[in-house]
Amino acid sequence: MNSVNDRSRDIGPFLPGPDDDMIICRCEEITKGEIRQAVHDGMWTLTEIRRYLRTGMGLCQGQTCGRLVKGIVARELGISPAELEPATSRVPMRPIEMEVFANEVPEEKEVGSYED
Amino acid sequence: MKRYDLIIVGAGPSGLSAGIEAAKKGLRTVVFDENEKPGGQLFKQIHKFFGSKEHRAKVRGYVIGQQLLEEADEAGVEVVLNATVIGLYQDKEVVVKRGGQIEHYKGNAVIIATGAAENMVTFPGWTLPGVIGAGAAQTMMNLHGVLPGKRVLMLGSGNVGLVVSFQLEQCGCEVVALVDAAPRVGGYGVHAAKVARTGVPFYLSHTIVEAEGTDCVTGVTIAEVDNAFHFIPGTEKHFDVDTICLAVGLSPMSQLLKMAGCKMVDDPKKGGQVPVCDPHGRTSLPGVYVAGDVAGIEEASSAMIEGRMAGIAAAEFLGYIGKDEMESELASLDKALDGLRQGMFAPQNRGKQITETEEGIEVSQNLLLHGYVADDELERYPGVTHKAGVHPVIECTQNIPCNPCQDACKKGCISIGSKITSLPIVVEGSECINCGMCVAGCSGQAIFLVDEDCGDGTATVTLPYEFLPPPEVGTRGKGLGRDGKAVCDAEVVSVKSMKAFDKTNLLTIRVPKEYAMKARFFKAV
Amino acid sequence: MGKTGFGISGERIAAAVGAAGIGKETDMSERIKEHPILGVQEKGRLVRFTYDGKEVEGYEGEPIAAALKAAGVMVHRYTRKEHKPRGIFCAIGRCTDCVMVVDGVPNVRTCITPLAEGMKVCTQYGVSEKPFEEQ
Repeated sequence: MNSVNDRSRDIGPFLPGPDDDMIICRCEEITKGEIRQAVHDGMWTLTEIRRYLRTGMGLCQGQTCGRLVKGIVARELGISPAELEPATSRVPMRPIEMEVFANEVPEEKEVGSYED
Repeated sequence: MKRYDLIIVGAGPSGLSAGIEAAKKGLRTVVFDENEKPGGQLFKQIHKFFGSKEHRAKVRGYVIGQQLLEEADEAGVEVVLNATVIGLYQDKEVVVKRGGQIEHYKGNAVIIATGAAENMVTFPGWTLPGVIGAGAAQTMMNLHGVLPGKRVLMLGSGNVGLVVSFQLEQCGCEVVALVDAAPRVGGYGVHAAKVARTGVPFYLSHTIVEAEGTDCVTGVTIAEVDNAFHFIPGTEKHFDVDTICLAVGLSPMSQLLKMAGCKMVDDPKKGGQVPVCDPHGRTSLPGVYVAGDVAGIEEASSAMIEGRMAGIAAAEFLGYIGKDEMESELASLDKALDGLRQGMFAPQNRGKQITETEEGIEVSQNLLLHGYVADDELERYPGVTHKAGVHPVIECTQNIPCNPCQDACKKGCISIGSKITSLPIVVEGSECINCGMCVAGCSGQAIFLVDEDCGDGTATVTLPYEFLPPPEVGTRGKGLGRDGKAVCDAEVVSVKSMKAFDKTNLLTIRVPKEYAMKARFFKAV
Repeated sequence: MGKTGFGISGERIAAAVGAAGIGKETDMSERIKEHPILGVQEKGRLVRFTYDGKEVEGYEGEPIAAALKAAGVMVHRYTRKEHKPRGIFCAIGRCTDCVMVVDGVPNVRTCITPLAEGMKVCTQYGVSEKPFEEQ
């Protein structure tokens, strides 16, 4: 069992830090303190953090904060960031309006090339 | 659903190179890129590239971009721009957003060449307008012709931070400081030296305490950090700036591969999450390949070779070439890539502290701490020699894979030998004709032509100059030392500009002869 | 322009444009007229557009963000929760910090959206072009 899955491990109490009010997720405006507190609330994976706080769920889809959040969570858990599974990658990779996402182009209008 | 032999995601150096190689072998190839213009980051690179002739050394990045596009066009590669790949599904199905629509394609093979994204660091005020990525600065000035700022502080002394600092100065910005939390300069010494000699102070073991401003950046405070990266009280320094530029590394943009189910690994040496792949870009999914920074952060030169490898591997996978042909082509590319992955900055040396060159010469500590070789360190390098009359002084002090200087001199004054990372030496008994080709041809701007004693108490120094406007002959000013500080009076005696110099002007300044080995830049007063 | 601004004497280039506000309509001091390596860059035709109702000029086809930067605009939006200013950050369409309300559509990434004549570009407050106190 790796150190992320072993939830019985004691990571100690939440200790307030001087930079807890620093914005980490720029889109959803989530602070470092909120992320650290979430770990102590039991959110030990990046997927859990994302669902709990919405980090990386904003317009940019975690392009900027992904690595930062990973570092903060890893430090709070006392492990290396490399041990943390990154959050799931999903379609769409870029912000996209629903009206576009749902607008599947008919095949004959696709660019060049030959048929299957 | 439309089908291609090969779908490539990303039209940067690796993606285009892969496309060219594959299309030449007969594969029906398409490259999708989300940007309005192809070339990835190449069109923002305006410096001359390092390497050897085969690696397009001495050619500026944006010119390499143009060459690749022409080759791709000739080879019949279809390059589709403004086409954002938003998903990579099972069985190599590629989902593309074009205009207001979603299109689905299938590739018999797929090469992911999505490159990298910039890392960021946090500090109070880091969300203020005026705090930008180094890539943003390059995009604004080199693609759009707009100044990213007027007074800029650069955070990061890797090659990106150094190169972008120089580019900022080239378009007229003032770089007030180059700052890095690391104790030593991370990028090439020659890149650092060309920035330092223009007067940019380096603050190693320093980082940003705070960006100031209400609606946008108006200033910044930095402070020294100890070994544990904690601020040392009392070391704060303040600068009035309108822009803070962050150049703190890159992460592979590998999400598409993860989404497709490739086996991934977190490898700090490669910059983060990368697909597990063999040396030729084959991932754990048959028919899915990777090339360039997405597989591990390196230089554009190696990305181009990796792209060609993936293109060849894909061609063999689909039966367009035989195994033997593939293996012989890959073998020669292996050799080329090995050649690039040599020297002090090679991937295998990342994080290592190197104290001696391959020749057993002590590395300049001043270069690592302050960005320039100190006067008393210079004489130990083989490119620094003395003789009567004009002769080259080669201030190249680190082993990097680069050798254009050897070819630049038609008189055979400069030799690197067969090992591309060796420090250049001035060949004894050779005759310098003061043509300047070595000065203009050195990608690191590290070669000077010096006449140490003109017989009248003066000396002349010819230096590379890539700023506007070049000073006119007769202009009086100051000779600046390698640290960018004025050391003596200087007068411009010649300004040479030739097509063969490729936009590097050669400035010759006359200085008192005791400054022949000290004055390395010119500033008019 | 044309000076290389070496920090030798600690000289300061006076900020030609103000902070959050807007510079003069055709203030070209933020444009690179001639570049030592790239020369004179080709641009589209000069067009007019509005920024928060004020007329501004820019080159057709360049990113809206480039035209605004050239006009001295730094603040593109104020955030939803904290009402904090944001502007250009990545300039390649990734970070989405530079979004504004363009022709009535919010969340438009101005760094990758080409400028067209007559565009109506507005500061984005949260996801609206209306300042917070009017929302």
